[in-house]
Amino acid sequence: MTDIKGNNMSLSKENGMNPQPRKHWWLKAGVPVVVLVLVAIAVTAYMPKTVKGSSTCTPSPCPTATDPGPRALPANAGGFLGTLAPNEVQIEPSITTEFNRVHDVIVTSPVDGGLGPRFNSNSCASCHQYPAVGGSSPPSNPLFNVYQYNGATNTMPSFETASGPILVPRFINQPGTTIPDGTIHQLFTVVGRSDAKGCSIQQPNFTQAQSAGNLALRQPPPTYGDGLIEIVRNIDIVNNMNSNLTQKATLGITGHPNYSGNDGSIMRFGWKAQVRSTLLMSALEYNTEMGVTNETFQNELDQTPGCVFNAIPETVTNFTPGILTEMFPADPERSEYFVQWLNPPQPAKNTSAINNGRTQFTNAGCVYCHTTSFTTPAASRPALGHIVISLYSDLLVHHMGPGLADGLPQGQAGPDEFRTAPLWGIGQRLWFLHDGRTNNIVTAIEDHYSTGNSTYPNSEANQSVVNFNNLSKTNQQDLIDFLRAL
Amino acid sequence: MQKIETASSIHSGSANAGSLRRRVVPLCISLGLLIAGSMAVLMTRPATVHGQSCPVSPCPTASDPGPRPLPAAAGTFYPTLNANQQAIENRLTSIFTEVNYVAGGPNVKTVGLGPRFNSNSCNSCHAYPANGGSSPPVNPLFGLYNVEGGTNVMPSFETTNGPVIVARFPLNSNGSPDGSVHQLFTISNRVDAPGCTQETQPDFTTQQANNNIIFRQVTPTYGAGLVELIQESAILANMNSNTTLKASLGITGHPNVDGDDGTIDRFGWKAQHKSLITFSGEAYTVEEGVSDEAFPSENDETYPSCLPPFPVAPGTNKTHGVPDDRNDTGEAPKLPVNFTGDLERFALYMRFLQPPTPQAPTTSTTNGLAQFNAVGCNLCHNPSFTTPNASIAALSNQTVNLYSDLLLHDMGPGLADGVSQGQATGDQFRSAPLWGIGQRINFLHDGRTANIVTAIEDHYSLGNGVYPNSEANAVIQNFNNLSSSNQQDLINFLRSL
Repeated sequence: MTDIKGNNMSLSKENGMNPQPRKHWWLKAGVPVVVLVLVAIAVTAYMPKTVKGSSTCTPSPCPTATDPGPRALPANAGGFLGTLAPNEVQIEPSITTEFNRVHDVIVTSPVDGGLGPRFNSNSCASCHQYPAVGGSSPPSNPLFNVYQYNGATNTMPSFETASGPILVPRFINQPGTTIPDGTIHQLFTVVGRSDAKGCSIQQPNFTQAQSAGNLALRQPPPTYGDGLIEIVRNIDIVNNMNSNLTQKATLGITGHPNYSGNDGSIMRFGWKAQVRSTLLMSALEYNTEMGVTNETFQNELDQTPGCVFNAIPETVTNFTPGILTEMFPADPERSEYFVQWLNPPQPAKNTSAINNGRTQFTNAGCVYCHTTSFTTPAASRPALGHIVISLYSDLLVHHMGPGLADGLPQGQAGPDEFRTAPLWGIGQRLWFLHDGRTNNIVTAIEDHYSTGNSTYPNSEANQSVVNFNNLSKTNQQDLIDFLRAL
Repeated sequence: MQKIETASSIHSGSANAGSLRRRVVPLCISLGLLIAGSMAVLMTRPATVHGQSCPVSPCPTASDPGPRPLPAAAGTFYPTLNANQQAIENRLTSIFTEVNYVAGGPNVKTVGLGPRFNSNSCNSCHAYPANGGSSPPVNPLFGLYNVEGGTNVMPSFETTNGPVIVARFPLNSNGSPDGSVHQLFTISNRVDAPGCTQETQPDFTTQQANNNIIFRQVTPTYGAGLVELIQESAILANMNSNTTLKASLGITGHPNVDGDDGTIDRFGWKAQHKSLITFSGEAYTVEEGVSDEAFPSENDETYPSCLPPFPVAPGTNKTHGVPDDRNDTGEAPKLPVNFTGDLERFALYMRFLQPPTPQAPTTSTTNGLAQFNAVGCNLCHNPSFTTPNASIAALSNQTVNLYSDLLLHDMGPGLADGVSQGQATGDQFRSAPLWGIGQRINFLHDGRTANIVTAIEDHYSLGNGVYPNSEANAVIQNFNNLSSSNQQDLINFLRSL
């Protein structure tokens, strides 16, 4: 029993310990079945795809707009709110250092170390990087510089590509079972690293998970403006949900909040709005992405003897007087502030095309989920209060049909439901949709269209996508230009 | 208050409930106590009755000696904390005992209470036998619900000598699952909430009449820092041990695995919290209405006049917004501990509290422990875990004698409260840690009894169409079959914890 999370009575994060019966089944079934399964997966996963330039499209007519691609650097995001108080400004260097810190395995100070035994990356900024620190995947996949760092012997899963987005894997079911899983199965282990001698565990069997159709991939969402999003009042989200009901009904749009089972407030971070606050998100990511145990998440991701190198938790409130006062809180709190205090992305200057595009965005119905703005209430950090935030999201989850469904329920978000992704900053975004399946923003729009099947209902976006495709060529292009201006 | 004590004793199945139950329904109606009557009809399950016909025959013979008297055997910090940790103990205690007000004033240190709340400080409820514990003998809510000119009505289910109990509604008005806490009180009309008049208390009377209300009492927090450190591998290894014996007794149990991150949650009556940070973050906003950095929403946003910022007295800087409490970068140069928000400090406070100290063993309690194991109590109330190497040295490699497996178990219709939390279903509860119950006053999730023998008997419950048998049934049968002296020794052992 080297991997407690392979235990199918409870948690399962790795399938290195896949139960024997499954193995036998595969051996007996043989290659033809594998091929059949692969084909079936390919068909079901990619079926209702828009084929640009081909003669038939779903929905018809085919879109005519083209994606001009991401706006060039310099970044239209990153950097802190300019209105922070002096005592907040004074810790900007400390929180920036923390967000950029590369974590090694061994804890060498109250602020460093703790990586692994399993991890996806070794720093926040490696994945939250583009177009500036705090963002999302950069043009070159940074994991290729991380996975064998310091002697690690990891193999790179085939779904990661050098010039593709960072993808984090979740398993739909516990490997070899029909027991729902849904948790992240970290890509890498610390095995082989010079600072992890004696540790012997296996990477999860992603090949098998992929061929079993048991893999769901997620790319990193950007974090700009999250400190503003987290204080938007629940009642404003609900009031917005209950506005324009006639138009929404006409378009087939419903949507609902993902309420926290804890305090009953509306969760709002992550692809399924499954996290409530920047504090909880930061603590979660330290643990699930980097393997750094902290005061909120005190369990190593793998507790195999020989692989636990540090006292737990690996980052703690620092009680030592004399150390920089801004280091007093633990790492997750400092990364929390980094994310919480980042400016929202700045859109490009308006042009007549962009203005028209904004109108078409409304006309087609995009705006009924991608709500233009909310206003933050009075905030105890004054810099965050009374700000109109143009995030283009209603912070609700919506049915997106079989085409986007990833099979993973999270809280009150069903397996085909996703949070309306905030669109601010997509002018410089490189990959779209939860699994980064496309870098073409027109394709991303078309992928919102998906006809229901016996498992999932129609995508709530279907009518809006039809409306988009029916726009004149100019109006379509203006809408795309408007998006690329955000 | 009389009607409530009647209802509660029916529900709890205390000593004379059987005869009461037969008499009470007509009695209630004749007295116009329709609520208590419907509670009795709808919620009463086979009650345990000593000395008469018992659901588990033979009836138990042991009696509860009652809680050990003070001084408290709990509530102190680890003497092994290092000097830096000890240096902040007083600060942590003061934040845990601080009373929150709505808005600032010249003498007000902490603000953010409401709009809805159950209490105004942590230690009002976590009070006995020492700070950090559970309900004290006198219900503290009576002393705080209308301070500052509040105009709340005390719900009838709170009694002056009963436990602090918090209300949840299993269902929403449209029949969909609710399960959330509905705070007892509001800040309407308080002098420190100028302009707030519109918040109204939930209609508990109607919810009670509709049998749509369940109660939870306060869990003690001693030793919680050790509990949060217990690694999942240890919890699972224990779950997978003695499986034959457990199966023969009908015991299964499973962890409450967090749906998002896959970790095992472990605090709260249904093990719905993973750590002291999330626990205190939630309690601050749910119990006191103080929004914080983990849960930065006010607990009712309906009326702008009841939301921050409130006007504050001249000369104070306590105007605020959401979250009501946050880390204070401004105070960092003065005193580093002030840098962290209250929720981190609450977490540190609980983390630094030692477990309760049991009494020195006697012949009786030693035999009681043996009987505890012999009848099978220990298969859920697992005597101990060990913490891993921990970064707080005082918590490192410690034996944690909590008497819990930190798993959820079906407890049958008798205890079921119909509220699902995470993977805990309507009749599942975490094996309550038994350390410290020697001085505990009220038992079970809803504090239905002060008698530890009744609490044991209430673990027995036959399944119905909705819920399966309690997993404790065979163990309770074993307990009742013990000789009189063995039974009493087991009870004495529990009261020595």
